[in-house]
Amino acid sequence: MQEIILQHLVERLNANTEWKYQINVNDWQTDFLRFYDSQTNYNISKQNTSVDVSVYKDKKSYSFSIDQPTIKKIDKAVDITASLIDSLPEDPDFVDVETDLKKKTGPDKKNIIHVIPLDRKIFILKEIAAAADKLGFDIFGTFICNFQHTRILNSNKLDKEQTNSPIYFEVKAVQRDRQVTVLHTYGGESYRNFRLDRFISQLNEKMTFAGYEITDVEPGEYDVVFAPRCIAELMLYLSGSMTAMSYDQKSSYFEQKLNEQVFPDYINIIDDPDDKDIISFFYNGDGHVYNRLPLIENGVFTSFMCNNYYSHKTGLPKNGNSGACLVLHPGSVALDEMIGSVKRGLYISSLHYMNFINEKETSVTGLTRDGTFLIEDGKITKVVNNLRYTDKIVRIFQSITKLENQCQTVPFSDNYEFFDISCAKAPHVLVKDFNITSSTKTI
Amino acid sequence: MKTKVKQILEKLNTPDIAFADVRITMTDQEQIYFQNGFLRGFGSSLDSYAVGIRVLMNGCWGFAGTRDLSDVSINETIKLAKSNALHGSKFIKSPVTLQPIKPTVEDKTYIPEINPFTMPTEEKLAYLQNLAQKIKPQDKIVHSYCYGVFFHQEKFYANTEGTLTSNSFYNTLPAMCVIASDGSQIQSRTWPGHMSAGRGGFELFHQQKFEENTERIIKEATDLLTAPVIEDEKADLIIGGGHLALQLHESVGHATEADRIFGMEISYAGKTFIKPAMIGSLQYGSDIVNIYSDSSDPHGMGFHPVDDEGVPGRKVDIIKDGRLVNQQTSRDIAQRLDLEPSSNMKASYGDDFPLVRMTNFCLAPGKGTLDELITNTAKGYLVDFTKTWSIDDNRNNFQFTTEIGWKILDGKIVGIVKEPTYYGITTEFWNSCDWVCGPEEWKYHGTFHCGKGEPGQVMQLSHGVAPARFKDTVVKVKL
Repeated sequence: MQEIILQHLVERLNANTEWKYQINVNDWQTDFLRFYDSQTNYNISKQNTSVDVSVYKDKKSYSFSIDQPTIKKIDKAVDITASLIDSLPEDPDFVDVETDLKKKTGPDKKNIIHVIPLDRKIFILKEIAAAADKLGFDIFGTFICNFQHTRILNSNKLDKEQTNSPIYFEVKAVQRDRQVTVLHTYGGESYRNFRLDRFISQLNEKMTFAGYEITDVEPGEYDVVFAPRCIAELMLYLSGSMTAMSYDQKSSYFEQKLNEQVFPDYINIIDDPDDKDIISFFYNGDGHVYNRLPLIENGVFTSFMCNNYYSHKTGLPKNGNSGACLVLHPGSVALDEMIGSVKRGLYISSLHYMNFINEKETSVTGLTRDGTFLIEDGKITKVVNNLRYTDKIVRIFQSITKLENQCQTVPFSDNYEFFDISCAKAPHVLVKDFNITSSTKTI
Repeated sequence: MKTKVKQILEKLNTPDIAFADVRITMTDQEQIYFQNGFLRGFGSSLDSYAVGIRVLMNGCWGFAGTRDLSDVSINETIKLAKSNALHGSKFIKSPVTLQPIKPTVEDKTYIPEINPFTMPTEEKLAYLQNLAQKIKPQDKIVHSYCYGVFFHQEKFYANTEGTLTSNSFYNTLPAMCVIASDGSQIQSRTWPGHMSAGRGGFELFHQQKFEENTERIIKEATDLLTAPVIEDEKADLIIGGGHLALQLHESVGHATEADRIFGMEISYAGKTFIKPAMIGSLQYGSDIVNIYSDSSDPHGMGFHPVDDEGVPGRKVDIIKDGRLVNQQTSRDIAQRLDLEPSSNMKASYGDDFPLVRMTNFCLAPGKGTLDELITNTAKGYLVDFTKTWSIDDNRNNFQFTTEIGWKILDGKIVGIVKEPTYYGITTEFWNSCDWVCGPEEWKYHGTFHCGKGEPGQVMQLSHGVAPARFKDTVVKVKL
């Protein structure tokens, strides 16, 4: 967004001396290569510049968003705001826009779209497709590079900027004759750590397991080794219950559990923007500095994540966190040892279509996909059809008996309503008595 | 905008491009959100333009989109689309080819009864504030909200075959919800349920009887706190229209999107259990199950003069007398399956890539009223108002929970149950359907939030259904 246009917006808003406001300017670009059956499906480039503005007069507010802002569009939106705002009902819980003026600095982030040109992506895909072909697999997935620059300003003289430019590379290798599928991903903000040979060898190992005999299992409780992706996803769902919004809406499991032991003492969950392996954020959407925040320390629930609005509304301390950088700390067990300790159980690679049945109780149902395996006598022995589970996330965390001695960075592509790439970090975990409620009878 | 679309298309009429299309959308959106009786959000995004350019070169699709419609930006977007196709074509083993189709030149405009963008703002706010006051926290109600999302889009589409169309329409998403708590559990009731969106303007609030149902949802949410759960292992289920729309959406609609057959959605939305050989032979449901896709019906949100690759809107039987007879397709995929394209390629905004999407995806009516169906049910449950939904990667195993169920004994409702949960396997479930209510119970339900594709798109679409009964459904899920 051109500075002259932004300054015009600021001047128009400042001219109304009774107004408070927040401005978020976003410059966004993405390059998406989607592939299927070891070939290109489509190649997409998109870009947009937009500005989101919230205006407050006392306890009344109105918001507007403008794509590709111009002075004419801004004048129209500000005029509409001025004509409406006095007539609006009040929100008694609004007090002020963000007051945290501290700034955070870090290394410059390059636009990853320029770092990995299309030729390079095609080369990588051809190499992986060739390796998969040798084992009778085709590859499906996406290779995404994103760039987003955000500037946040408000009427309290807050003016901050941050840039994110993450990668999300997801390969699903699908066995040609039996459709058994395994997933391997790479993500984060560093391309330097990507090693094509290592990626291929790790995918090869998964494809080898996918060649095992296919079986089904009966509903029941199973000891389960969850891949980092699974427990990270469960952690993300659980983190919704750790927000001040959830607390305010009476839907939080943790409502009266602050400083209570909720999980075994070896469970530690931290919202950590300083972890070098995941996508870092300097600020939250209001411009508050994003700091490291322990959520579960030695099994004790220690903090609700709370922004400016909900701090005023609930009285909870403001920290500005939102669960964008979640890390489940590792334990001390090697993966082989963890699998080796299971007499008969499951290894689950990935979860699918999970939804809450009752958010306060953290009960969910969902399915496994992209590689579910039977463990017998400490070894992975068979491929299992995709399974449905119905369980409570808190019970799952309470039933973790072992944590792997290392973490993996798990990228997620957030595709609903708004596209974004996020990361979490977690180790493999062993969970007792995970509740499998039915089989899909399909791979 | 038509002139602009034509100007862009002229730049794409070159021998190296086998096919190209251009789409420009102009979108207005407004949202009003009340929570616990107070206005918590009121905002708009008006006159938002987006353009998308799609080219087929060397058998590969390339696409670029932008919200900057300046000439410089358009030229850069064309360049990017072509570059994307050419690079992508280096990793192609079965090139895309399109059979030409007859061009369409048509303009369509839908005018709502009450235009939400021109009606007095005070009137909109007063209506919603009144609702919000009625459902605000009281007794066991600890949280509540109501909102309206108003959407207007003008779409201009042209392709190198000579098609040039425009479509202007209004959709609205109205909703309200109360949450009751006894301190240890919460129960919710929404109105009019999960699929409340539809073609139209503010009149949807009146048509869906919001004001008349505030007391009902407060009472039901409160009563659910002390209601029993279903204890039966299996039961006959009558599924109300709002929730049946979602059941249809998940277990038939998505399953019959044919891009899934070829794995084009594996990386995000998933696959389907359907194989090409099943088309024409699979007994998907009982012989009273008739399901169709109809993008030619202007009453649903899926209406269009042409889809987003120039196929005229049409009605296509997907399941006829219980048998799977067709698929929802793109032009490319229809060719691969030896089918006629079904007019199901849609993109949410101009700068989105078109995908195989549901339009107006409907279960045809049978006969009889809901009251007659209940009277003719000896033992079972009526369930409605979606709470949780989940279905597997192949659209085969689903599990749903609704907010409320009504126990039926000897043809009468005898009480309520909380969080009724049922699961099934898609074809077994639809083959257990023994009653679909008649035209008097049939109506459109709809969503603004059908997610698919990467980068993700949410589609606005409709489902026409009447309540239906399913025999011996598993209703016991151990938690």
